[in-house]
Amino acid sequence: MLTVDGLTVDGLGVRAGDTELVREVSFSIGPGERVGLIGESGSGKSLTALSLMGLLPEGVTATGRATLAGRDLIGVPESRLKRLRGRDLSMVFQEPMTALNPLMRVGAQVAEVMTLHGRGRREARARAVELLERVRLPEPEQLARAYPHQLSGGQRQRVMLAIALANEPALLICDEPTTALDVTVQKRMLDLIAEVAPALLFITHDLAVVAAVCERVLVMYGGRVVESGPIREVFTRPRHRYTEGLLAASRLTPRGTRLPTISGSVPAAGHFPGGCVFGNRCPHADALCETVPALTGEGHAHACRHPAG
Amino acid sequence: MTLYLVRRLAVLVASTAVAGVVVFAFMALLPGDPAEIALGVNATPEAVAELRAQFGTDRPPVTQFLDWFGGLAQGDFGTSYVTSAPIGPQISDRLGVTAVLVLGGMAVALAVAVPLGTYAAVHHRDPLGAALSALSQVGIAVPAFLAGILLVFVFAVRAQVLPSGGYVPLAEDPGEWLRSLLLPWLSLGLVQGAVLTRYVRSAVLDVLREDYLRTARAKGRGRTGALWRHGLRNASVPVVTVLGLQLATLLIGAVVVERVFVIPGLGDLLLNGVAGRDLLLVQGVVMVLVAAVLLINFVVDVAYHLLDPRLR
Repeated sequence: MLTVDGLTVDGLGVRAGDTELVREVSFSIGPGERVGLIGESGSGKSLTALSLMGLLPEGVTATGRATLAGRDLIGVPESRLKRLRGRDLSMVFQEPMTALNPLMRVGAQVAEVMTLHGRGRREARARAVELLERVRLPEPEQLARAYPHQLSGGQRQRVMLAIALANEPALLICDEPTTALDVTVQKRMLDLIAEVAPALLFITHDLAVVAAVCERVLVMYGGRVVESGPIREVFTRPRHRYTEGLLAASRLTPRGTRLPTISGSVPAAGHFPGGCVFGNRCPHADALCETVPALTGEGHAHACRHPAG
Repeated sequence: MTLYLVRRLAVLVASTAVAGVVVFAFMALLPGDPAEIALGVNATPEAVAELRAQFGTDRPPVTQFLDWFGGLAQGDFGTSYVTSAPIGPQISDRLGVTAVLVLGGMAVALAVAVPLGTYAAVHHRDPLGAALSALSQVGIAVPAFLAGILLVFVFAVRAQVLPSGGYVPLAEDPGEWLRSLLLPWLSLGLVQGAVLTRYVRSAVLDVLREDYLRTARAKGRGRTGALWRHGLRNASVPVVTVLGLQLATLLIGAVVVERVFVIPGLGDLLLNGVAGRDLLLVQGVVMVLVAAVLLINFVVDVAYHLLDPRLR
C-alpha cells in the first residue's frame, strides 16, 4: 500500500452534515499507473475525486488521509492546496461545453495555468500552443486565438486536457471525460488520455471505457470500494455480487432474452443499509451481511461475505 | 464587428429620425397656438396671423418639421417664441450640467452596487450577506426625490456640512462645485445603487455556479482569484443591460432632483419651458432627452459586443 511517489488514499470519508457520502476508501496509484473508478451515479466516485482536488462543494467535508508524492491533500489549508492544484495534480471534468470561460481566448486559458504557477507570460503563451499541438488539435496557432464557442465539444475537451497537462502533474484525474462526446470522438480522446497521462485516476460508469484505458479498477457502490483489482481479473472473475450484477447487466444478450438487471434501485444518499451497502439488493444476502465486510485480498480484493466464483 | 457597428449606427440614425417625427407630432397636436399664447386673448386676428407668419407656424406641418429637424442636425434648435432667445445655446449650457449629474449618479450607483452585490453573492449564506440583500430591497422602495430630501435634512439642515441646493460651475470654484453636486449625486445614485445591487448579486450568484469557475480553481486559483479573473467580466454582461436601462431612468430622475436641489440642468430648463408655455423650447429639450436615451442604448449594444465574443 505504501508508495512514496504516487497517490495514496487511506480511509477517505466524505460527509455533508450528518450524511456520510463516502466511507473508508483506500487505494493507491503508482507513477504511470492508470486506475479506473467505476460505479453508478451517486456511488461517490466524483466526490472521491473532488476531495482529492480540494474542490468539494460548500458544506461537504472530507476526512482521512491522502498524499501525493508525500504531500498531504486532505485537511490542508486552501492556501497550500491551491499551489498543488493544476501543478501536481489536475483534473478534466465531464462537461466540456461549460468548463471553459466563454469570454477568454483558448490560448490564454491554457497559458493561465502556467503563469499561475510561476512561469513567465511569454513562455507560457508559447508553451500553450505546443500543448494544443500535443493534444492533437489542428492548427494550434490559430486555435489559441479562438474563443471556446468556436470549438466543438471534442476540441474543448482536448483544450481541458492541455490545461491539465501543462505543468506536468504527477496525477491526472478524469471525471467522465468522454461521456458528453460523440462516440466517434470518444475513442480518439481515450487513446490520447491513455497516451499522455502521467498517473491516471479515471472515473466512469462505462465498463467498456474503463477496460480500454485502465490497468486496474476500483468498483464503488454506496460510497464504499466494494471490489478492486486488475481489470482483466475483475471483469472476467468478479467476486463481489454487485460487480457481478453490473457486468451481467452490461453484457450483450441474445435477442428475445431478458436483459439481466440488478433488482431494486440505488438508495438515496444516507439510506444505504447498515452492514454491506449492497445488502438490500443482493440475492445472496443473509444475517452475516448485517456487519460491514472488510475489503480483503491481495491484488484482487473484494468486500463480500458470499463472493462469487 | 465593423459591419455590426455600421448597421447599429444606421439603426440609431433611423430611430432618432422617427423619434423626431413623434416629438414634433405630439407638440403639434397639443392645443395652443404659439402666436395666440404670445399675444394673449385680446389680440386681433390680423395681429395673430402676422405673428404666425413671423414664427413660420402658418406653413404646412411637413415644411415646419423639415425646417426644425434639419436645423437640429446643425445644432440649431430655433428661437423661442416666448423669450426670442435662441434655444440651442440654452440646451448646450445645461446638457453638460445634467450629464455630470447623471454620470456622477451612475458612478455612485456602481461604487455601491458592485462591491455590495458581489459581497452579498459570495456570502449569501451568511447573515451579513442576507442583511445586505434585504437592505437593498428597502433602498429600491425609496424614490430619488425622497432620498434627496432626507439627505438635505441630514447633511444640510442638521449637520450643515453641505449646501442644501444651488450650483457652482466647475470653472468658478472646483471645491464648491464638488460640494454642490455631492448630495444630488448621492440622492440619484444611492437609490439606483440599491436596484443595481440586486442585479449584481444575482449575476454573481449565477456565475459562481458556473463550471468555468471550478476550472479556474482546478488550475490553482483561490475562490476570490477565480471570481476576479473569470467571474466579474461574465457577470457584467447581464449587468450592462440593466445599467443602460438605469441611465435612462437616471435621466428622468435628474429632472426631479434638479428641482429639489435647484440645479440649472436640462430638467430645470424643461420645467421652466412648460411653466412658460415655451413650446419650441420644450420640444427641443424633449428631443435631446429622447436622443440621449437612444444613444445610451446604442452604447450598451456596442458594449455588449465588446464584452461577449459569442455575439461578434
